[in-house]
Amino acid sequence: MQKFSFNRRLVIIIVCLIVSFALMTVSVAIRNKKSTPPLIQQFGNDIVGLTDRVVALPANGLNGSVSAISELLNTYQENQQLKKQVSELAQTKVRDQTLAKENKQLKQQIKLNDSLTDYTAISAAVITRTPSSWQNQVVINKGSSAGVVKNMPVMSGSGLVGRVAEVNKTNSKVELITDNNDAANRFAVSITTKAGKTVNGVLSGYKSATGQIVMDNLTTKSKISKGDKVVTSGLGGVTPKGLFVGTVAQSVGSDYGLSTKLYITPATDLSDLNIVTVAVTKQ
Amino acid sequence: MYRLSKMRFGFPIGLFLLLFIDGSISQVFSRQMFNAPSVMVSHLVVLWLVCGVLFEENMAMPLVKWAAVIGAVFDLYYTGIFGVYIFVFPLVVYLTRQLVSYISPNFLSGLLIYFIDITIVEALSFVASRAVHMTSMSGSSFLVNTLGPTLAFNLAMFVILYFPIRWVYNWLK
Repeated sequence: MQKFSFNRRLVIIIVCLIVSFALMTVSVAIRNKKSTPPLIQQFGNDIVGLTDRVVALPANGLNGSVSAISELLNTYQENQQLKKQVSELAQTKVRDQTLAKENKQLKQQIKLNDSLTDYTAISAAVITRTPSSWQNQVVINKGSSAGVVKNMPVMSGSGLVGRVAEVNKTNSKVELITDNNDAANRFAVSITTKAGKTVNGVLSGYKSATGQIVMDNLTTKSKISKGDKVVTSGLGGVTPKGLFVGTVAQSVGSDYGLSTKLYITPATDLSDLNIVTVAVTKQ
Repeated sequence: MYRLSKMRFGFPIGLFLLLFIDGSISQVFSRQMFNAPSVMVSHLVVLWLVCGVLFEENMAMPLVKWAAVIGAVFDLYYTGIFGVYIFVFPLVVYLTRQLVSYISPNFLSGLLIYFIDITIVEALSFVASRAVHMTSMSGSSFLVNTLGPTLAFNLAMFVILYFPIRWVYNWLK
């Protein structure tokens, strides 16, 4: 009798393991290939998301008020610095407007409707964050009903923070650049060097020890120096051109000495996200 | 009797509430908790389930079922990878029940049991994530950077919340 019950337990454990791996494999495959999860999962996520908003609202509100108080302390200094910047900004803005207008006229002349730089922005609030150490993932409160599509790039503040990994009706999951899984942070980017050359490449990972984005396998002869700006190149997919990723922190030879490896300082603080922007391309 | 007590509704409500609070804590304190490379993961849901076993006495609550339900919600809503926590949470409840049958539950033995539970939750989810290539973290850096801080955080939460949760369970009974 003892032996029988032991065998039964073993069978249960093995069946559970097999079912678990099967479910995991299926859901990873769906996540990588399909544009939306199965309808049941979407429906469930929408309901859970709605309930979560009720809980998350006071928590995020509390967070906002606490940070408001701490920010009040260094407001004066910040104000002084910002005043200087504002006067410069007004000039840049006017110039930007003129250039945008000119750009539009020129595009009309050559009958070019949408180029790689065109995108519209959907702003969304972060509801919650996945309590897990390997999935740096946040849930935002806009979904397919607001026009969010899988793989769209997500920005916060001045720079790129991640991509949309899963879309439900009213919420979606955003995988941050800091996530180191196989598909998280492969953005096509380009760097304009000080000499004016453009270097294209793909982001390849994140180094959590220093908080830097890694870009490997660059086979270029042009010299990339510290402080060069990295922006998305708009090649190959739904990412528009010209989203700011960060600045080059270090350029070293790769592990085998054949190519160049870059470390990039992200443009925004990736650990503190409250409001994000989803960039929607018109293609 | 489970069927006639407030526990029947109170337990699931607390379970879902703590599930959402887990996410909210991670979001609000993301700067402190996900301060790379060391990462603290909040597991208040596990705390609620383990406390369910510790304070169950002779009530016979359907803890394994609820653990599976909350594991499924966790998988779908938080991680998007179905099939990990739906098995890990019931396993933890089962294991805690086994341990409680050997050690009589009190504050200190509860702390010990919770230590084992958190280790199992983290280790199994690490193995699962490695298996489906959700992470490329090495085993040693998992021990140092994730398991250590996570245990510290969750044991601190156990110490802080043990008596409040016991009060809640007694009120629900």
